[in-house]
Amino acid sequence: MNTKEFGDYIIRVDNIGKTFDNGVVALKDFSTNIRRSEVVVLIGPSGSGKSTFLRCLNGLEEIDSGSITVDGIPLDDNKKNRLEIRKEVGMVFQHFNLFPHLTVLKNISLAQMLVRKKSRVEAEDETMQLLKKVNIAEKANVFPSQLSGGQQQRVAIARALAMKPKVMMFDEATSALDPEMIGEVLEVMKDLAVEGMTMVVVTHEMGFAREVSDWVIFMEDGMKVEEGTAEHFFSDPKMDRTKLFLSQIL
Amino acid sequence: MGSSILQFCKRHHLLDFSAYLVLMVGGIILLLKGAEDQGYYWQWFRIPKFLYQFEDGRFIAGPILNGLKITLNITWISLILTYIIGLVTALMRLSNSLMARGIARAYLELTRNTPLLVQIFFMYFVVAPILDIDRFTAAVLALSLFEGSYASEIYRAGIVAVNKGQWEASYTLGLNSYQNYRYIILPQAIRRILPPLTSQAISLIKDSSLVSVIAIYEMTMNANEIASETFLVFEIFFTIAAIYLALALTLSRVVAYFEKRYRVVT
Ligand SMILES: Nc1ncnc2c1ncn2[C@@H]1O[C@H](COP(=O)(O)OP(=O)(O)O)[C@@H](O)[C@H]1O
Ligand SMILES: [Mg+2]
Repeated sequence: MNTKEFGDYIIRVDNIGKTFDNGVVALKDFSTNIRRSEVVVLIGPSGSGKSTFLRCLNGLEEIDSGSITVDGIPLDDNKKNRLEIRKEVGMVFQHFNLFPHLTVLKNISLAQMLVRKKSRVEAEDETMQLLKKVNIAEKANVFPSQLSGGQQQRVAIARALAMKPKVMMFDEATSALDPEMIGEVLEVMKDLAVEGMTMVVVTHEMGFAREVSDWVIFMEDGMKVEEGTAEHFFSDPKMDRTKLFLSQIL
Repeated sequence: MGSSILQFCKRHHLLDFSAYLVLMVGGIILLLKGAEDQGYYWQWFRIPKFLYQFEDGRFIAGPILNGLKITLNITWISLILTYIIGLVTALMRLSNSLMARGIARAYLELTRNTPLLVQIFFMYFVVAPILDIDRFTAAVLALSLFEGSYASEIYRAGIVAVNKGQWEASYTLGLNSYQNYRYIILPQAIRRILPPLTSQAISLIKDSSLVSVIAIYEMTMNANEIASETFLVFEIFFTIAAIYLALALTLSRVVAYFEKRYRVVT
């Protein structure tokens, strides 16, 4: 099934650790390398550190130890490096986080103009292209509150894509949606995967993981418990903990 | 359901207002009566000339209106400074820089824990000679530094009330802090900030009467002088109280308008 061509490593995560101020250890000695065009799915029980991992990758959370490199740029104290990484790594949140005071068009155009320094016309052209891509072009001029959850999440995906990121991260992008809207969002994510986008996806949608992912990581208590290709992972898990988790969720 | 609640509130406001009116009118009548009983001789007819006069058909403002002009001048300049100082202080408090936060803290502690009167004296007798500024500027600075610390809390509360997800979305899109505040956070915070910030104008107008202590001839100062020269104590102070009240009531209408217009929808 995997006939996909991968590139070099675009993300290198080496032994990172993260302890929150309240003493909770969210990540412990976590390492992984992700190749260009690879789709990596992270699964694990609630509180296992999946969101924290994603948030460390783009600098939303600071790591205490270890190192992260994105497309050759180290995520360190250098502000310029951090900004570069923020621009190159797109993120889609569970609760969409659209800007409620801006129309869909502005939500997607704003950062193109401010950060990518495009003209309004260029930015809005690009925005319309993206809205077509996520099947919602007719909603360009409405406010987020007038959209369904599924539509809002598709706008959020378009907003992230507008920055032309090299990596896209999804943190339970479908968990807040009504069941009938999950499909339309997963569809957009699948299209992205097929186009060769590098993706790091936290999800409870095992169907999606099985079908789309190239690599699955199961984590618990901030540590990697088991990983492997989707085929191996789902048909022949090695660890008891993984088996138990899969039996509960499938 | 929603409209009946609205109507109740409206009626409630009306009730509040009529109760307030009855109380005020009652209070004033009692006062007038009480003064008369003590042998006070009311001379309202002498008041208008302190407000304005007509000479050869030309309107000439009297000392009270001249004082009002200065009160309004002090107020609007201080108000603009208050809004700027408040915003800058709030941003400093929320910034990552330890120094910025420290300076903001120190400023807030100083202005909040000393009386305004002392701050006005300090500005006039200590700071003004050093910086070589006139008394009007000293008054404006003292007032705006004092009110600015309260404004900063209004801004801060409005800013931190914006959903954390908004900061994160704007961060991941690569916006810098200026762009984040300018395009994402402040436009959303303004709904919470604007009504209380307008109320600050009311405090400012009232507090501006305190600068008479450094011999600024604003309305209260002029009223004081007239009262001591003419002994029309009640008439003069009722008059300026009415003017302050009219200003404050007008402003509170503006506040009410903003509250309605920017009602926080969640
Ligand atoms: N900002 C925070 N402050 C303190 N503890 C946190 C914070 N964010 C997450 N945690 C804790 O870190 C652990 C991992 O959380 P998270 O990464 O959100 O897990 P997951 O996404 O897998 O559900 C949890 O125990 C959680 O309570
Ligand atoms: Mg999570």
